[in-house]
Amino acid sequence: MTSLIDYLIGGVSNGAVIALMAIALVLIWRATRVVNFAQVGQAMFTTFVALTVQTMTGSWALALVVAMVAGAILGVIVQFLVLRPMRRADTSGAIIATFGVLIALQAAVGMIWGGDAQAYPQPFDNAGIVAFGRIWPISVYDFVVIGVTILLVVALSLLFTRTSIGLAMRASAFNPEVARLSGVRVSRVLTFGWALAGVVGAVAGVLVAPSSTVSPTTFDILLVFAFTAAVIGGLDSLVGAVALGVFAGLVISLVSGVSNSGNAPVVALVLLALSLITKPDGIFGHHKARAV
Amino acid sequence: MLSITDLTVSYGPVEALNGVTISVPRGEVTAVIGANGAGKSTLMRTLAGLVTPAAGQATLDGEIITRKSPEDIVRMGVALVPEGRSTIPELTVEENLRLGGLWRAKADRRTTQSEVFDLFPVLAERQRMRADTLSGGERQQLAIGRALMSNPKCLLLDEPSLGLAPLIVTQILHLVRRLADETRIAVLLVEQNAVTALRMADTGVVLNLGRIVQTGPASAIASDEKLRHAYLGY
Repeated sequence: MTSLIDYLIGGVSNGAVIALMAIALVLIWRATRVVNFAQVGQAMFTTFVALTVQTMTGSWALALVVAMVAGAILGVIVQFLVLRPMRRADTSGAIIATFGVLIALQAAVGMIWGGDAQAYPQPFDNAGIVAFGRIWPISVYDFVVIGVTILLVVALSLLFTRTSIGLAMRASAFNPEVARLSGVRVSRVLTFGWALAGVVGAVAGVLVAPSSTVSPTTFDILLVFAFTAAVIGGLDSLVGAVALGVFAGLVISLVSGVSNSGNAPVVALVLLALSLITKPDGIFGHHKARAV
Repeated sequence: MLSITDLTVSYGPVEALNGVTISVPRGEVTAVIGANGAGKSTLMRTLAGLVTPAAGQATLDGEIITRKSPEDIVRMGVALVPEGRSTIPELTVEENLRLGGLWRAKADRRTTQSEVFDLFPVLAERQRMRADTLSGGERQQLAIGRALMSNPKCLLLDEPSLGLAPLIVTQILHLVRRLADETRIAVLLVEQNAVTALRMADTGVVLNLGRIVQTGPASAIASDEKLRHAYLGY
């Protein structure tokens, strides 16, 4: 029983990172009906940027901020270079194009930083916290990850509910024509959405990096989990992305604990299939049928 | 004043509008009537910037509005209430209204919002509720309210009676009449429901297959039996 609880506690910070990546996917999906498979590629690229900054300056926080800025810029670049020209194509064409961007980004990272896995320095103590006479499966760094995630989720929900740009984003996502007729410059709002998703993805990348290594393909598995969480959550729902992202983290931790970590993606895909069969709109979704 | 001159719109080989010329003075209601497929919605969508015309132009107080983006046209003072679901159901009543004037200064928006609430008191009562909890008539009021939030000089109404009970239609059209009288907005109204529309309009325009077949005082058009039989089907 103790070990079961330990697995769950240990999964929370991983779940937080998955939730962030799922949020990035949901942000783009809501605005454009495109699943941006390049999101992890963008996050990986910006994490390498962060690694460079961290190596040069030794500052974890500065590296995080630079990665966020780079994430915003990269998001805008991807939208301008790839998605805008694809506007007239159907969305499946655009989704395939995002796969192309993912592969291109992986190649670019390989060329700039090399293809080998590199260690990302541990910014905070990563040892289990000792309290109440035992070692807990959660570290100071895990608390940092969870804290940053909560901050970002709160900031996003305030942005969406309290600000003009948030209202413009929601309106553009729900009904772009009425938004335009109301005077909202929808294409600018979309660009802002890509930048925002880029920022969120970049944070996820920097947060997860110390717990693994970074290489051009390290984050691919994160895409599997984030995509699963986003789809089961309903793809339209930020709440769903957060809830299912954290849930995915717990499941992965449990599965890895009781069997081995290689089984986690299989379990994720089984859950995804089950969800699509039984609840195709997702748990928090409110849209009609959807083809995936 | 909204002046439409020789407006022609084609969808591929099909001409949806052909040389349409209409003047909509401030403080007056102009009703464009005609059967399904007469080009009424195309006219509205072209004026709002959603469709680019092949020829002709429209001006508002002398400024050309055609071939501009919908975002710019609404800033210039022409607001469209499109046909059907033109509120955003997922947003609250207050958010739908705020959306309509998002680009304006906060103080101006506040002023207009209280004017809209005076005109449509039910919207003030339902401010915090989601738009999809409103009845059809309330939702149409919200759609018009959203358009008014841009403080337009000209209001375009595309089939406001669609799917509403007759009593509600009369109510909505009365409000539109009051709006034109009190705020001196130029109202261009497109309706399939010719009887009700002509009863409250100043000028009637009969559109058939993209061409204007008659323009005149609304009462004259309403009583022209030949016209009614030929184009309006009653």
